[in-house]
Amino acid sequence: MANVSKRYRGGGGVEGVTLDIWPGEVFGFLGPNGAGKTTTIRLLLDLIRPDRGTITLVGLDSRRDSVAARRRIGYLPGELALYDRMTPRELLTHFAYLRGGPPWSEIDRLAAQFTLELDRPIRELSKGNRQKVGLVQALMGRPEVLVLDEPTSGLDPIVQHQVHRAIRDAADGGRTVFLSSHVLSEVAQVADRVGLIRDGRVIAVERVQDLRGRAAHVVDARFAAPLPPGAFAGLPGVEGRQVAGDTLHLEVTGALAPVVGELARFDVVDLTVREPDLEELFLAFYESADAAA
Amino acid sequence: MLRREAGSAHLHSVFERTLDEERRALLGWSLGMVALAGTMLALYPTVHGNAQISKLLDSYPQAFKSFFGVADYTTGPGYLRAEVFSFMAPLLLAILAVLWGSDLTAGEEERGTIDVLMANPVSRRRVVAEKWAALATGVLVVAASLGVVIAAVGPAVSLQVGWEALWATVVASGLLALLLGSLALALGAATGRRGMARGITAIVAVAAYLLSSLAALVSWLRPVRWLSPWYHALGVDPLTTGFSLFHLAVLVLVVAACVGAALVAFDRRDLGT
Repeated sequence: MANVSKRYRGGGGVEGVTLDIWPGEVFGFLGPNGAGKTTTIRLLLDLIRPDRGTITLVGLDSRRDSVAARRRIGYLPGELALYDRMTPRELLTHFAYLRGGPPWSEIDRLAAQFTLELDRPIRELSKGNRQKVGLVQALMGRPEVLVLDEPTSGLDPIVQHQVHRAIRDAADGGRTVFLSSHVLSEVAQVADRVGLIRDGRVIAVERVQDLRGRAAHVVDARFAAPLPPGAFAGLPGVEGRQVAGDTLHLEVTGALAPVVGELARFDVVDLTVREPDLEELFLAFYESADAAA
Repeated sequence: MLRREAGSAHLHSVFERTLDEERRALLGWSLGMVALAGTMLALYPTVHGNAQISKLLDSYPQAFKSFFGVADYTTGPGYLRAEVFSFMAPLLLAILAVLWGSDLTAGEEERGTIDVLMANPVSRRRVVAEKWAALATGVLVVAASLGVVIAAVGPAVSLQVGWEALWATVVASGLLALLLGSLALALGAATGRRGMARGITAIVAVAAYLLSSLAALVSWLRPVRWLSPWYHALGVDPLTTGFSLFHLAVLVLVVAACVGAALVAFDRRDLGT
């Protein structure tokens, strides 16, 4: 999508969003609630129309070739509303017909995979089970593009795991997944790249791998004796250095070897080295974006 | 393609689902029509050929008789006009059509189901067209149930009404309701708001009824009564005059205009916002 804008009269919307999603990747779309994730997704589906900009999906214009484009997209809305009086079987049959025919055997297989009960009215289903109905209708027919808005919200961890696996399977099979979430750990687990949206603007697009690579290690150590002043100063890659008596706190980017070498010169009582999770990285990102603003 | 034997579900198209969702309501409305017509028919023997009632009604002011359509109350067509088709039956049909028509797209937007529906590869125009077709089918079926009861039970109570006059009136009532339902659909499609669609359509319906009824009494309203769809449907008295192709064509054209407006308006909007 190129330079897409959509403003609502009451405020909100997105501004100048440009995203390139590659075939076969899982793209995580991350941002707090109200940042414009759902607006972006509803633009993709031609449910709402951009004020400016164009959206191209599998080579098709989202406006002009809307029906053809939607034939190749499976969509799970964030605020999932279904026909409550129908059973999942009726709803899935209805949509299968509108989609021009994934065979029932495939729907059965998906329903079994998610242990979805097909013959109870949807209004009697729990939120998790409704979400499964939404997932099955998005996945059926193996669409080339999956657009999933907060797919795991309200699901128990076991089903969340199943969903993540289904997403990975889809991507491994060459399909493209656009996944929105406000949960960083989820995106970190399944996405190849992450786009960060805030106040309607995409402020960063990064490969998850690169984010990890750039991540600082946090080293905490305690020593048998207080450290001499100046210890661990000036080592390559060391950023946040705090020394207080016999304890040490370091943030290290890049290779750890120099720090490990230095540690060996002291009597180490306790040592932890950890990778900060994406949560911390993005929070840092947000803070710097705030500072710039 | 779908294999029917595998899934027991029978709902496929938007048209079928829309009708199916209302199957209980449609059955209820049809039974209501049957009850209304049945009750009125059951009372007919008490007035049929009753000279006292004739005399009583003759004593009423002409304005009263015109407004309530109670001329020749003791004959079959006169009785049906006064008790069934002047107000009650068209009103009930119109309520069904407006409640349903306003809900067709706007209801899906308000309930949020429009997202999963329109994610399917179907055009917005097709969705509106199929939903309207379901509305038309349902309204005409309920209207027909009224005609069937009168045609079937009428002879048993010596209510004589011509075949053409009866069905011309049933068709006119059904078309009037469909017109108001189509207007409600168009307003709902243009705004996404059921309440607004219902409110505006109700005002139009009341205005149409009053214009048609009062034009019989108020001379200065006569020149503009053609503005009222109620006039074209029932104001021209199909129970006496039978099918009037001109007036039915006017109704059909207005229905077509409403459907056209609904198709265009729904196609242009941001849905569910």
